[in-house]
Amino acid sequence: MYQNKSLVILILLLGLLIHKYYCKEQTYIHNQAKPLRFHVAEFNFDHVSDVYAITLWILLGSLAKVGFHLSYRLTEKFPESCLLIILGLIVGGLLYITHLAEQKAYVLNSDTFFLFLLPPIILEAGYFMPNRPFFDNLGTILLLAIVNTLFNTVCIGLTIYGFAHTPIFGRTPFDMLSCFVFAALISAVDPVAVLATFTEIHVNDMLYIVVFGESLLNDAVSIVLYRIFDSFAKIGQQNLILMDYVLGALSFFVVSLGGVLIGIIFGVVACFTTKFTEHTPVLEPLIILVYAYLAYLTSEMVSVSGILAITFCGMVMKQYVSFNISKKSDATTEYVLKMLSSIMETIIFMFMGLSTVSDNHSWNTGFVLITILSCLVFRVIGIAIFANLANCWRLLELTRIDMLIMSYGGLRGAIAFSLALILDETKIPRKKEFVTATIAVVFFTVFIQGITIGPLVKCLNVRRKQIEEPTMSAKLTNRMMDHVMTCLEEISGSGGSNSLRDKCRNLDRNYFKRWLLRETPQEKMDIKLLQTFKKINMQSAMKVHDTSKGLVPTPSSAAFHTSTSATNLRPSSTFANFSQLLAANLPEQTVPDLMFFESQGPDHYRDDAQMHHFLDTNLYRAKPRAAIHLRSQDETAETNNESQNRFEKSYHHRNHIFISSRHDKEQTHGRKTGKTGSGATRSTSSKSASSAQPFNNSQATRHSLVSATTPKESLKVPPTSTNTHKQQQSSKPRSRSPPLSSDQPIKLLPTTKDTHPVIHPVSIVIENEEDAKMMGGVTAAEHSFPWRRSSIPDGEQATLSITAGDSANNAQTFSNRNDPNLHPGPLTSANFSGAYNKSPEYMGEFATTTKPEEHLSRPHIRDFFNNQLRPSDETQENNAEAAANDGVTRL
Amino acid sequence: MGSNASIMLQQEDLQNICQQTGFTTKQVQRLYSRFKALDKRDCGFLIREDLLCIPEVNINPLGERLIDVIMEDYGENNKINFKQFIFLLAKFRGGKAKSLTTEFNTRESKLKFLFDMYDRNHDMKIDRRELLDVLKMMVGGNIHDDQIATIADHTIGELDDDGDKSITFEEFCNTLERIDADDKMSMKFLS
Repeated sequence: MYQNKSLVILILLLGLLIHKYYCKEQTYIHNQAKPLRFHVAEFNFDHVSDVYAITLWILLGSLAKVGFHLSYRLTEKFPESCLLIILGLIVGGLLYITHLAEQKAYVLNSDTFFLFLLPPIILEAGYFMPNRPFFDNLGTILLLAIVNTLFNTVCIGLTIYGFAHTPIFGRTPFDMLSCFVFAALISAVDPVAVLATFTEIHVNDMLYIVVFGESLLNDAVSIVLYRIFDSFAKIGQQNLILMDYVLGALSFFVVSLGGVLIGIIFGVVACFTTKFTEHTPVLEPLIILVYAYLAYLTSEMVSVSGILAITFCGMVMKQYVSFNISKKSDATTEYVLKMLSSIMETIIFMFMGLSTVSDNHSWNTGFVLITILSCLVFRVIGIAIFANLANCWRLLELTRIDMLIMSYGGLRGAIAFSLALILDETKIPRKKEFVTATIAVVFFTVFIQGITIGPLVKCLNVRRKQIEEPTMSAKLTNRMMDHVMTCLEEISGSGGSNSLRDKCRNLDRNYFKRWLLRETPQEKMDIKLLQTFKKINMQSAMKVHDTSKGLVPTPSSAAFHTSTSATNLRPSSTFANFSQLLAANLPEQTVPDLMFFESQGPDHYRDDAQMHHFLDTNLYRAKPRAAIHLRSQDETAETNNESQNRFEKSYHHRNHIFISSRHDKEQTHGRKTGKTGSGATRSTSSKSASSAQPFNNSQATRHSLVSATTPKESLKVPPTSTNTHKQQQSSKPRSRSPPLSSDQPIKLLPTTKDTHPVIHPVSIVIENEEDAKMMGGVTAAEHSFPWRRSSIPDGEQATLSITAGDSANNAQTFSNRNDPNLHPGPLTSANFSGAYNKSPEYMGEFATTTKPEEHLSRPHIRDFFNNQLRPSDETQENNAEAAANDGVTRL
Repeated sequence: MGSNASIMLQQEDLQNICQQTGFTTKQVQRLYSRFKALDKRDCGFLIREDLLCIPEVNINPLGERLIDVIMEDYGENNKINFKQFIFLLAKFRGGKAKSLTTEFNTRESKLKFLFDMYDRNHDMKIDRRELLDVLKMMVGGNIHDDQIATIADHTIGELDDDGDKSITFEEFCNTLERIDADDKMSMKFLS
């Protein structure tokens, strides 16, 4: 697989080269052309050459990434960064041979790197920074970032300088300051490399944030040190006075605090701006990106740390912006950030490999070896010293293994390399050796450490990141723990970080939120908690949408409801397949989802549906990251079907979760007003927002369904919302709507009858209505809402992936489909629970979290069935099967 | 201040407390002085108002509930004396690594405390109403009751394993296994 892909890439590359030569020749000929005549077509490569090259780079990077991830085995063994560097080396070799490397656009220069490639990555890191772990570990991070980096710089500098007097470096003099310049650039851990590596090995949050935070924050230190030593070297060692040192030390504070300040200012301004973007939501993502970039450029302009600025800008923005901007903008921002950072990272690593192949090298074995060794040794020593120091005040102490991973994770990367490239050769005559040594160190860390750190983490049994869905209980409990601990700390009089955090939160709530948010949060209102709820709600909605793509109606209105929307959204071909799968998969408990959909109004459904499409295309892959700061590339790397399965399954059971009872009333209201049937209902609901239209259909049919269902079924409403349902029941007889249910059965009845000896009138009615939906009104909806069609491929994809992943259940499905008489009697719960019991295996480690959800619907149903509606239970299941089979025959 | 406090505290009491709770002598003395500072009427026990005087507790949405728990489960007659006070705080002493765990600061007991925050009728079950009460405290009054009810239902659904619409302590522990309750429910006592 990979072979093919790399071949393709190579061919593409060769194509590019040939193309390039061809263009040169063309332009040459063009210049020579004698008579000035009108040219119908002109070939003008020079006009676009630079942009063209850049675009091709981006394309190549993307294709490379796509190619690598086609082969699971490859990406499993080697970090992506290594593969990209290798690819870069190959391309670099080609360019070197063809002498294209002399052209500017093809090599990494530090301006490109610092102005274009680096900011998106850092912004993304800041924007998705897990705030809580970051601030919890801030002390440790600062200690490591500042003191440890200083320590490393001094030690490495001294070591190199010391060895310069021995014959190892070939007896050539290294002056002290250039040694320190080199040490300053080589001792800083690189955020890009750390990100690329650590996101792939999934260590726990604490470890990740300590290493990554260090790599982010030490930027200020390394830049200051680099600048200090660089300018010292330019001033000359003998001309230095004490004042220079003092100013150097001072500049550290200016650079770091200035960066943070600029970042926060721009972040706040950005939030403030988004307060007023209500009417221009399309610009929201752009505003966010531009402000962040401006923060970076501004701080670079006044020569403070741009990395710190953009990091903090991102962190501040994330706090407030997402409350202001629309959901679409929010998702777009996140997606664009991930996309940008992902491609920039790709390009950086490729450039690294590419730029290695050049003439600007001077290999000095002794120097390289000493550098690598001292980097390793002092990293370990530094971590050992400062992590132990940090343990004095840390609540959760860093263990030896943590320290080992921390020191082993000290990767160097492109920042060091770019800094080495911009050294002034006239002042630092050893530049070439430095560049070579930097590349050697980078390659060593990225390749050897990067490849081995994964197995090492596994082998040492480091606590892994817990991948958890944002469960309500977890959020609630976490928040409660915070509250409790804050109080108790106050009570016990030990003003720990908890009460500090609480103070920050109060400040945040009383001032920042008030100024920066469109809607002022209410007193004591827990926005985060609500947000989690909304997120979960949205996921549920999304899943209903997904499952609805194939959910064939059970007699319950639930399935019916979803399937009406399903017909809107997807071609009927996948319908049969998936529906059976679901019919077999659905545990007994979920079959009558009546209570969920009964209490869930069409209005609500409409709201959700609005985001369905959007979420489906945008948020789905991005979502886990948002919660647990995975990088986007991970998710694409994770091609395991298990997670797919897990999602699918858990969401069936979650279906009825996103009840918003608020809508109950509206729904009932709608019913009451829609006495005369579907026409009237349509008119009521069409009063609502424009996007309601496709759902008018569903609402209308829902009505007819409700009228068609037996009174028994309507009893199956959850006891929690008895009030509304009583109303519903009372309104049902009146809303009985003959037109839909009585007309259509005639057309399609025969097919269903053939296959099914057990036919429940209700199920047929539903089926046919739904078919009618598919042919009739829905197409109209499709006309007026073309985007619905556009989501079809997505639907297919999802369906397919599930089908593939779920082979075991598939088998059962097929047996069900092929032989309906296999279960002549009512399907017993065992039939379903067989599939059901498998789910924990599929879900693997997630079983614990999802299982309770699966039980969610149990009590209701059991109660209903056991107490009152035993016979209906059986018919229901029969119908479920009938419906499933119907799906096949129909198609 | 510290020396003053230690005089008031009987030496053997101090030893006893240290042994049972795992606090160091200094920590106990410090807590004692804190206790004294809270006890404004100087009568040897704290009442609700004493705790409510702490501004952070006062504005904390769960402050009242927490005081309820403290007073009812750890104190008696709406009073809490120093010994009860320190046993309460012993639950939240950090340091599982150094084998400093006593019977008080196990993960279990920390979770139990959390559980008790919900379970005010002591039937070892969190039912829907109890959850709703806590949720209302934490979310504030501005959200529609229905919405809170939905959240509550959702939460119960997540935690409830045996389908009885209430959460037992076991279910509570099991589901929260993934949360670092041990770390988050610990604090550093100054010594």
